[in-house]
Amino acid sequence: MGPLIELVHVRREFDGGRIVAVADVSLSVEHGESVAIIGPSGSGKSTVLNLLCGLDQPSGGEVRFEGKAVHGPRAWAEVRADHIGFVFQNFCLIPTLTAKENVEVAMLGRIAGAAKRAERAVSLLTSLGLGERLHLKPMKLSGGERQRVAIARALANEPRLIVADEPTGALDRKSAHAIMDILTGLQRDTRTALVIVTHDREVADTCGRKIEMVDGRIVNGPATGIVHAVAGGAR
Amino acid sequence: MNELTLPLRNLAGQPIRTFLTTLGIAVAIAGYVALTGLTQGVQQNFAGGIGDQGGDLMVSERNSFSIISSSVPEELGPSLKAVPGVADVSGTLINIASADNNANIVISGWPDGSFLWQGVKLASGRLPQPSDEWPVVLGSTIANGLQKKVGDTVELQFQDFTVVGIADFDSVLNQNIALVPLKKLQGLLGREDSVTLFQVRLDRPLDPQKVAVAKEDLQKAAPGNQVSDSEEFGNSIRFFSLIRAIASTVSLVVMAMAALAIANTLLMAVTERTFEIGILASLGWRPVRILRLILVEGLIMSVVGGIIGLGLGILAMDVVSKAGVAAGLMEPYLTSGIIVEAILAALLAGPIGALYPAWRATRLVPAEALRRT
Repeated sequence: MGPLIELVHVRREFDGGRIVAVADVSLSVEHGESVAIIGPSGSGKSTVLNLLCGLDQPSGGEVRFEGKAVHGPRAWAEVRADHIGFVFQNFCLIPTLTAKENVEVAMLGRIAGAAKRAERAVSLLTSLGLGERLHLKPMKLSGGERQRVAIARALANEPRLIVADEPTGALDRKSAHAIMDILTGLQRDTRTALVIVTHDREVADTCGRKIEMVDGRIVNGPATGIVHAVAGGAR
Repeated sequence: MNELTLPLRNLAGQPIRTFLTTLGIAVAIAGYVALTGLTQGVQQNFAGGIGDQGGDLMVSERNSFSIISSSVPEELGPSLKAVPGVADVSGTLINIASADNNANIVISGWPDGSFLWQGVKLASGRLPQPSDEWPVVLGSTIANGLQKKVGDTVELQFQDFTVVGIADFDSVLNQNIALVPLKKLQGLLGREDSVTLFQVRLDRPLDPQKVAVAKEDLQKAAPGNQVSDSEEFGNSIRFFSLIRAIASTVSLVVMAMAALAIANTLLMAVTERTFEIGILASLGWRPVRILRLILVEGLIMSVVGGIIGLGLGILAMDVVSKAGVAAGLMEPYLTSGIIVEAILAALLAGPIGALYPAWRATRLVPAEALRRT
């Protein structure tokens, strides 16, 4: 089986080429592996994450999902809806919707039947310890609870890849540990690939592979899971 | 949760803005319904009212600008009466004037002995006699409005008339009419020897073929004039076409303003909710789905505004038609056509106004949108 997702000589420039956020990066993520992308602020790690899941478009190079190049917002929307779940530092929950509805919204157009969607949302949230918080809006939830809602939403369509951008950045230590336990547990139990962008070494250590970026380039760490597997075995 | 939950929550999240925009649409639709209904009501009122007076066909000046500007020589009467199938003809002179400087009133002058007087159902008093100096029969609504009874005096066309009878009619126009002898009105208006139109009564029983033949013969007997039934007569008056055109133009401008209000509201909403739209895009919502979300928000406001506007329009028609200046001249006129047009206009205004903001929403790059917290 080939890589799940690949960046092939990807470049991302801003301001007409005066700012190069990502310079010729190639990176592949295998099915079921966990990868941490680390680096200082402005190193381009979040941009790489955005390119990896089509939230941003590369200035050069291409992104492949299961070996096929993906182009354009519509094609990326399909890939994200069916195969990618997101967890962000600032939770990215819709404030006017309840916890349950925030999970259901990811399933609209993907899972037919409101009852079926509601059942799955309740099941996911309950499994993450939010069974009593289903009908609360994000403002009424703690940071850890909001991040668990975001994880439930990321899992709603049974993705093959979860991408997490600083998922513990806005949480206290205890909540951060709990969230990482959930994410790594999911990766381990369901063989869902996990890509985490973090500046926290402790968080990065929970991943099977670490890639370090500086000034828009990978400076340390294997760019492919196969190299990683040869070097030290998959997690 | 279903497809409507998110747009409804978004609208509910900005209640004042949503309310004001919806109200803007409602006012636009109300304006459309009231303007269209009242302008058509004026036409229906005049045409229907004249038709109810007892004539089957009317002979009037071709392409007359307004009812009161039509002028037909009185001497045409005998040749019209000689047409086969014609039972009787009656000249009618019509004018609009104020009664006691209080209300607008339609004054209609009928010749002594006209068959039109036979159709007057008196509630009190009697019909004018040749010996009466300035007699008038008032419709019961205007008589009540002016608080007149038989024997009272009412000033019409700067002349005091004595109320000799009060009559009940079916149409709003006739309920608010003042019937006077033709010669008296001709004298007051300086229109001796001319009438506004001739009312033609055909032989009974009526059948469409006979009516068509009589119409053709009457047309030959009155060259340069038009022969019509009451509905055709209403449609032929250019003044009504003019006010319909004005009403349509004003309605169009108001509807365009409503669409702009929706565009402005949704543009603000899209700008404010850039982050939320970024979230939806990150969840894999396709651009067309995001477009639909914004369009549905516009549609919800326009449907609700349309329904409220329809109610407000009917209310406005009622209030205006009862106002002193319009009472008796205007009648609320609501047809299924007006309702359908108003609903269609509302249904179009929402999505048209929402189109640009929705398109803007689909152009957002998700990564950029998510940075705007």
